[in-house]
Amino acid sequence: MQEVMLDCLGEACPIPLVKAQKKLEELAVGDVLIVQIDHSCAMKNLPEWAREAGHNVEIEEVDDGEWEVVIEKVK
Amino acid sequence: MRKLHMWPSETCGAVQIIGRDMREKKVEQYDVVIIGGGASGLTAAIYCGRARLNTLLIEKSLMGGLATYTNEIENYPGFPEGIGGLALMELFHKQAKKFDVKFKLTDVKSVDFEGDVKKVETFRNIFECKAVIVGSGGRPRTTGATNEEKYLFDKGISFCATCDAAANTDKTVMVIGSGDAAIEEGMFLTRFAKKVIVSVIHDVGKMDANEIAREQALGNPKMEFMWNTVVDSFEGGEQLETVNLKNLKTGEILPVVVDSCFEFIGYEPNTEIFKEKLNMSKRDYIITNEVMETGVPGVYACGDVREKELKQISTAVGDGAIAGVEAEKYIAETEVFANQIMQKERIGMIYVYSAIDAPSREMLPMMQEIEAAYGDQVKLSVIDQYKGQRLCDRLACDVDPMTIFYTEDGEVVEISSECDRPSIFDMLNKLVAKPIEQTA
Repeated sequence: MQEVMLDCLGEACPIPLVKAQKKLEELAVGDVLIVQIDHSCAMKNLPEWAREAGHNVEIEEVDDGEWEVVIEKVK
Repeated sequence: MRKLHMWPSETCGAVQIIGRDMREKKVEQYDVVIIGGGASGLTAAIYCGRARLNTLLIEKSLMGGLATYTNEIENYPGFPEGIGGLALMELFHKQAKKFDVKFKLTDVKSVDFEGDVKKVETFRNIFECKAVIVGSGGRPRTTGATNEEKYLFDKGISFCATCDAAANTDKTVMVIGSGDAAIEEGMFLTRFAKKVIVSVIHDVGKMDANEIAREQALGNPKMEFMWNTVVDSFEGGEQLETVNLKNLKTGEILPVVVDSCFEFIGYEPNTEIFKEKLNMSKRDYIITNEVMETGVPGVYACGDVREKELKQISTAVGDGAIAGVEAEKYIAETEVFANQIMQKERIGMIYVYSAIDAPSREMLPMMQEIEAAYGDQVKLSVIDQYKGQRLCDRLACDVDPMTIFYTEDGEVVEISSECDRPSIFDMLNKLVAKPIEQTA
């Protein structure tokens, strides 16, 4: 089980989502992808997409307006 | 150092691989857990935090809820110049943080409302608490048209003009719907897009939006309306290219080439996890009374998730305040009830009176005298039915004023309406270890 960081700081929608989707494809089940974002728009679509796709998601607010979206690949 | 990222290995051990379902969830205790970080949940959090309750708010993604989807809020009092939805919700969040509310950004998987200790489960934790406030709100409805799911999530279909307007500068966009949100957000989009085509289900000129918005929209040169239409299908490659509208009157399919499509056709409540646990309306909204009680003791609902008339930030704030205060009262009462009224140390004598009933009120000094006569053998509790109806309800007995509940080991052993001095002495003498002579 590996843990991969994806730096999307400074990037606006839809880039974080597209990058995360691509990266998650490369990972194996059980791996964890951590997407760093600081645009609130990505907070709306990224967690929702990942949950709809069946993955486990938890978010940490690292700072005001800066988040880490932690996605555990389930399938 | 943040330990957050260690969770798969942290709980499973580096070498040992345990199935996902086997991973033990961390249990944490709170006074109140609030589900949902929109306007109502954040307001409830401010009230609970300020009442010094140990409060946790769980939000599945961005703090602020549906308000963050709105570009400009002009009808929330206190902001005469208007304020952005996201900016307003950031202020709510900041205020709740000030009162030491804890926040967790994840989705709730299940709830257990049975018993005094409620449980709220996420995929890594079980949160145990005394009261739960549900403010899970709603989510935008989708059309259900062919290929819709193919173009969700930044593939062309959006529910948030504020989020995606800038990306549509000089583009052609479609708006589905004719309510306040559709027309107001559609007008906002005209500041960026070169053309905004609105698909309206009604006849020419008719919209669900308020009259002012309707007139402004009809006069907006960048807005175009396609009346009597609904979405039939979405077409394109990777990205959305065409929306096929269907004219409801003629049945004709009208292909419209667009860069993006914004859907504003109402909301549906986020209540799946509460099914069969809370009372719901036909449309799956949670039914509450006017103090936000759901009917399950210690569980409250507030904001858009409730079955109610006007869904606005200002009404959500009112709901949240009530829910917060009620939860606080419920927790205080639970403690008073368990630790004082139903105490186990002595024989209990619970005198129910009413502040507006003189005869029952006038017996209070005698009750106190009797308690004193028994020294440390008897504990008197008094409940004013006029103010403390809910404490009476907890005794699970609908009684008149001037009733005495006798308890032993925290259990009611006798209920009596005989409040004369000899009867009380008789009863207490049967219960205490050392009976005493009746005092005058």
